[in-house]
Amino acid sequence: MSQHIVNVESRKKSLHYFYEKVVMPLGFKFTPDKELMNFLLEQEVILEGKHGIPFCPCQPLRNDRIRDMQIVCPCIPFHRKHFNEIKRCWCGLFVHKDVLDPDKLQQLPPKGGEQ
Amino acid sequence: MSESFIKAISASEIAPGGMKALELEGNEIVICNSGGKYYAIQRRCGHMNAPLEMGTLDGIYLTCPMHCAQFDVTNGEALSGPVPSAIGNEIPPPFLGKYLQNIGMIMKNVRTETIRTYTTKLEAGWIQIKVK
Repeated sequence: MSQHIVNVESRKKSLHYFYEKVVMPLGFKFTPDKELMNFLLEQEVILEGKHGIPFCPCQPLRNDRIRDMQIVCPCIPFHRKHFNEIKRCWCGLFVHKDVLDPDKLQQLPPKGGEQ
Repeated sequence: MSESFIKAISASEIAPGGMKALELEGNEIVICNSGGKYYAIQRRCGHMNAPLEMGTLDGIYLTCPMHCAQFDVTNGEALSGPVPSAIGNEIPPPFLGKYLQNIGMIMKNVRTETIRTYTTKLEAGWIQIKVK
């Protein structure tokens, strides 16, 4: 896939717009840590430019389409059980709506092994 | 300079979130109703010329129906390129594999360009567009 040069700030804004529509009904919101949010969205714009898809910046691509499509941001629907336990997604871009301080959240491995 | 605006269509013809394609003085244009604000953009996608009115308008963001490139209708800015097609992990038959390889090679050099926008105004329930 070719690299598409886009204005990173504009793309971040549009991703924010679309993601919010998906995550809000699932009980999540963007992290209140704006610096982290901006950093992660920027990484996604870079990944989208490289692969054509905004993959989760903290997960490795496995060259297996079925597995890889499960880490397209926002990946909450595919890993909701684990995210509900830790009240955030893996990279921390989204947290449960009731979370005010994401730094207090614990990183716990999924019950029952790898997801 | 109001004479350079052309009366295009009645605002009532486009529901909020809707789009309408039309031709004005040789220009293929799509008028978008984004929450009661009207924006006019070129009809052809900045990636591979697909008709954009067949895509999806969500707020100010338009997604092309062909490869899902996205644009901001307020300024025509290209926000993302095409989304890779879902051909899965299956190995295509040889004749198709060669074809897809060629297409892939050409597609690598296709850029998604920003699309043209036109100034609009709403007057007496009519959307007017400045095409020049």
